[in-house]
Amino acid sequence: MISWTDFWLFALPAFCCWLAGAWFAWRGNRIAKACGFTLAGLLIFAAFIIGLWVSLERPPMRTMGETRLWYSFFLPLVGLMTYLRWRYKWILSFSTVLALVFIGVNLLKPDIHNKTLMPALQSPWFVPHVIVYMFAYAMLGAATVMALYLLLRKNKRPAAMEMDMCDNLVQIGFSFMTLGLLSGALWAKEAWGHYWSWDPKETWAAITWFCYLSYIHYRLHRKTSYSIALIMLLISFLLLQMAWYGINYLPSAQGVSVHTYSM
Amino acid sequence: MSLQAAVGGFHLETLAYPINLLAAVVFFLLLLLLHFFRRKFAALRWLSSYQAAISSISSLALLTLVMGLVKQLPGYMHEGDAWPGFAQMLSNWAFAFLFVWFIAVLGMTVFLRLFSAQWKDIPFVLNHLGLLIALTGAVLGSADIQQLEMNTLVGRPQWMATNERGDVLELPLAIELHEFSIEEYPPKLMLIDNETGDMLPKGKPDHFLVEDSAAVGKLLDWDVAVITKLPMAAGVPTGDTLKYVEFHSVGATMALYIRVSHRKTDETHEGWVSCGNYMFPYKAMRLNEKVSLVMPEPEPKRFYSDVTVYTESGKTIREVIEVNKPVQVDGWKIYQLGYDESKGRWSDVSVFQLVRDPWLPVVYTGILMMIAGALALFVFQKRKEGVHDKLD
Repeated sequence: MISWTDFWLFALPAFCCWLAGAWFAWRGNRIAKACGFTLAGLLIFAAFIIGLWVSLERPPMRTMGETRLWYSFFLPLVGLMTYLRWRYKWILSFSTVLALVFIGVNLLKPDIHNKTLMPALQSPWFVPHVIVYMFAYAMLGAATVMALYLLLRKNKRPAAMEMDMCDNLVQIGFSFMTLGLLSGALWAKEAWGHYWSWDPKETWAAITWFCYLSYIHYRLHRKTSYSIALIMLLISFLLLQMAWYGINYLPSAQGVSVHTYSM
Repeated sequence: MSLQAAVGGFHLETLAYPINLLAAVVFFLLLLLLHFFRRKFAALRWLSSYQAAISSISSLALLTLVMGLVKQLPGYMHEGDAWPGFAQMLSNWAFAFLFVWFIAVLGMTVFLRLFSAQWKDIPFVLNHLGLLIALTGAVLGSADIQQLEMNTLVGRPQWMATNERGDVLELPLAIELHEFSIEEYPPKLMLIDNETGDMLPKGKPDHFLVEDSAAVGKLLDWDVAVITKLPMAAGVPTGDTLKYVEFHSVGATMALYIRVSHRKTDETHEGWVSCGNYMFPYKAMRLNEKVSLVMPEPEPKRFYSDVTVYTESGKTIREVIEVNKPVQVDGWKIYQLGYDESKGRWSDVSVFQLVRDPWLPVVYTGILMMIAGALALFVFQKRKEGVHDKLD
């Protein structure tokens, strides 16, 4: 039975594969090897997720540590998709480093192997809702990394193509986020009696959604003022952190959210 | 702000049927009228511009941000003086005006695109019109939503329910509870600090889930072995202590006979541990001056009610109502909400939530359009250029 104590046995080889993939991508012209290693890492990591799922006898999506697990899985996946689509040499390195951060947090703050799942979460909506959101977060995380890179890069204005890449990542991330939001609304109607109750998690999800919506429209409006658009991306991602886990610490959300499932 | 101070908050409840329907018709006819005059006035054309869209979206984002940062109070409560207007953002006039403004901008944009629609505009129309329909339906319909709570007792049909203000209402349907059942997770054992009562280790408590009747586990430095597991037990006082015996009747509790030994000092304890309930006391095991072993109440895995619903229209429906599995009868959705927690699995009370939302089909139409739109956005995302050029 796989439990959290076995995590490093999977995370370490997966990380090594991702590192190798990132290295081959960085060297250029080693596309097959870069993809192969990244994919191998993903499979190893997926094996842990599936094993944990089986041994917990419930989807591993309840606690923060469990959502971090999905996030560190989706980051290299999104990195790989972006790499295949646009061939940026550095993208796999970035997704690997980001995945490492979340793996590190999980190793340093180990999660409890807790099998219980409260009745409110026992629904067919649970799995798609969380996966779609985590994938959206990973896409938007990749867009944020790209934005940071373009903003911090000295003496070179972003090329139109690089901005297009941000737009594409945001567009995919935003469409998944919309699906997550709406599936959440449909689920809430079945579980809590109303599709939208302005629960703190919902309020912050709405804020984040509006912010990315502003970015998309801003990019269509002012096609050439890049830095403002990139800064909007950074602010949006900061606010997204509030929706994801920040509300667990926010004074205005204490004791009123029905969205707190982690101990 | 001064409006807020002068007349108090804006309350959506004033928009009950038929005023909400009338408001929607008048509002959209007005927008349509404005649409046909857009050639004459630059200001009307501006309404469907990106500038208008960006400013209305971002100001809505800003007010929602304030709403996220200030603790919100329910609309029926008196708002304190600490954050006038902001602790009930949904009743804030600024928020209401901004929302109407947002809907106007969205509406004008949708009209513009609809009247010159081509096949490639389908994703655009799905996203924008879907949002327009969902938001309009949600806001105008909110006054018509009835959300009630009903307490039922086994064997007694109940047709009275209370709303959030505590008013008791008579309903066109009755619910008779036949049986309420809980399935629980296996019992857990945990360590607590004798003085503070904190679960240990503090902040990240460890637990041992006793799944089999002869389970072995560990908690910090203690090895725990289950010798006897009595899922249906009664506590019997013997001398100065309690022992547990099998008891197959209402009010039975969970008890475990366990042996605990310290891995380093070989210190060993043996005895009964129970979470107790409304009939029998709980029993902890004191391991040393600092630490005791306890069994918290088992967590519910599933709870559900076997009921018959009788309606005024003469229907009689036998159903099982469970969390995440509401039952729909004559426009009412009935949800399993709670039970008598002091009695736990022996509760003969079941609490239901009853919700009627006549505007739900409107909102769901919008939501389904947006889902289709989001999928279209994802699938056709390469066709970015050219699609949006029509709006200047």
